[in-house]
Amino acid sequence: MREKKSRRLRPEKVLIRLFLSVVALVIIIPILNILAKSISDPRRVPFMEGWQFWPEGVDFVNYKLIFSNRLVLRSFANSLFITAAGTALSLLVTGLAAYAMTRPGLPLKRLLMVFFIVMMIFEPSIIQEYFVVKNLGLLNNVWIMVLYNSVNVYYLVLMMRFFEQTPASLIEAAKIDGAGEFTVFLRIFLPLNKIVLMTVGMFYAVVRWNEYFRSSVFLQTRDGTVLQVFLRQFVVEGDSTTLAAYSNVDLTAINVSSLKAATIVIVMVPILAVYPLILKYYTGGVMAGGIKE
Amino acid sequence: MKRISDRRCVVGKSVKYRGQRDVLTWRRIWKYRWAYLMLLPALLYFFVFRVSAIAGMKLAFYDYKIVGENVFVGWKYFRMLFETPAFWNIIRNTLLISSIKLFLLFPFPVMFALMLNELGRCRFGKIIQVISYMPHFLSWVIIAGIWIDAFSRGGIVTSIMGVMGVEYKNLLVSKNAIIPILTASELWRSIGWDSIIYLSAILGISGELYDAAAIDGAGRWKMVTNIILPVLVMPMMTVLILNVGFIMSAGLDQILNFSNDAVLSRVDILDTYVYRIGLVNVQYSFATAASLFKSVIGTVLILITNGISKKLTGSGAW
Repeated sequence: MREKKSRRLRPEKVLIRLFLSVVALVIIIPILNILAKSISDPRRVPFMEGWQFWPEGVDFVNYKLIFSNRLVLRSFANSLFITAAGTALSLLVTGLAAYAMTRPGLPLKRLLMVFFIVMMIFEPSIIQEYFVVKNLGLLNNVWIMVLYNSVNVYYLVLMMRFFEQTPASLIEAAKIDGAGEFTVFLRIFLPLNKIVLMTVGMFYAVVRWNEYFRSSVFLQTRDGTVLQVFLRQFVVEGDSTTLAAYSNVDLTAINVSSLKAATIVIVMVPILAVYPLILKYYTGGVMAGGIKE
Repeated sequence: MKRISDRRCVVGKSVKYRGQRDVLTWRRIWKYRWAYLMLLPALLYFFVFRVSAIAGMKLAFYDYKIVGENVFVGWKYFRMLFETPAFWNIIRNTLLISSIKLFLLFPFPVMFALMLNELGRCRFGKIIQVISYMPHFLSWVIIAGIWIDAFSRGGIVTSIMGVMGVEYKNLLVSKNAIIPILTASELWRSIGWDSIIYLSAILGISGELYDAAAIDGAGRWKMVTNIILPVLVMPMMTVLILNVGFIMSAGLDQILNFSNDAVLSRVDILDTYVYRIGLVNVQYSFATAASLFKSVIGTVLILITNGISKKLTGSGAW
């Protein structure tokens, strides 16, 4: 923004700053409060106010408890695996499709595009999705969550927009040197589009880490689930049987509210850890593409 | 594959054999076989997981049988659906919740972007952006966890109510409070993120326009109303029109995580209804009918709104 030379604070500027600060505080304080509660001394948590963003004493007992639980570790591993393998698969499948769709002169391109758009807007019912997964024998198998959402048409279209801008001359040159189509794609095309891959990869990774509903429908066993489903069971439904049944810790000796806070933090931390990357690629991609979601 | 027939037809000046185009198409397709091979995994995914599921929705016209063939029953389940009073309540809830989110929350990201822009490029503005975009990346399970804590004893809402002298009451189980809470949590999650599209439109405005306006003696407020707001009309219309297309989806993940038995009648929407009736109560055909109803109307709405958006603003969802 171009600012006029005068640096004096006019009343409307002060008001704007004040208002934006309030918005930011309303967003960040509850998150910091959860963080503070999770590492506070459990005996002092009941006396904390909701806006307190610093801990009362420091005690990692909640985290020790959570990480001593076999089921939590399993869900954590499942979530990480699904996010990593799923994002890699999505990038490969979407990347290949986007590359093929942007080759000049591809016959039936319009038909394929119509097909993809129909896939995007016509939602199948969750009941039939459930049946499909059941018939494939993939119910309660973590691989279903890797395979599910291999291609998201919005991201396919976004990738196509970027792929179209890659100069054709570079590809032609490689072909003259005798490289096959797949070699060109892997060795020349993908390295040229690293930023796009990072952006779309971020989109996919965030969606996969946060996926809750399908995971809860497709993965119904207690030790085959993902972190989001576990979090919901414990924090939203207030059902602590899973935690109690598999931990050798007396649940009455700790503060449930701070244990819940710690569970929320554990699910949140991977996202916050990559937040700088997200800001760089994800936000940049949205700014450039002008698309939503 | 068609063979070249010796019947000829005249197209313009050149003489073409009927079927010749087909042969050329097949030859071109063969030439691009590697491209189709590359498309194969994506197509395979859609056919295995989506097309088969969509085809399976014909169950809405059949009685589901655990053993043996399903029996065709025509519109029976749709008639049942429309005669169920609960269904109309659910339609009402769905439309009400998504309309509130759509129309009531719509101006906030615009104002947020305008205010961010007034700050100019400074560290304070960056911090506001970094904080306000964050909730968008948290799942609804996490957000619900944070909000449930905020509304329970020792949470921020409870603390503030305490200071104001209001007696503690868990608002999350209050029928009258739940829709405002859904709206507020949606705003909390999206005010920053949804402002990006407007902010990027504002940043695209040429500096010369501001300079010219300054020479004409325009103040800051004049610049906002005469330069910035007109630029924002297009993205505002696009967002508004496209979101109308999604009015049948009121936010499944959010509602699943914010609802409880006490408020269910107010927040039960089509998606939660289908899930509960279908997968929990195993009334497969009935729930599929409800789902098909939603998908068909949703698809038509999206096609219409996308068409309108493309006509009016030049940009659509695809």
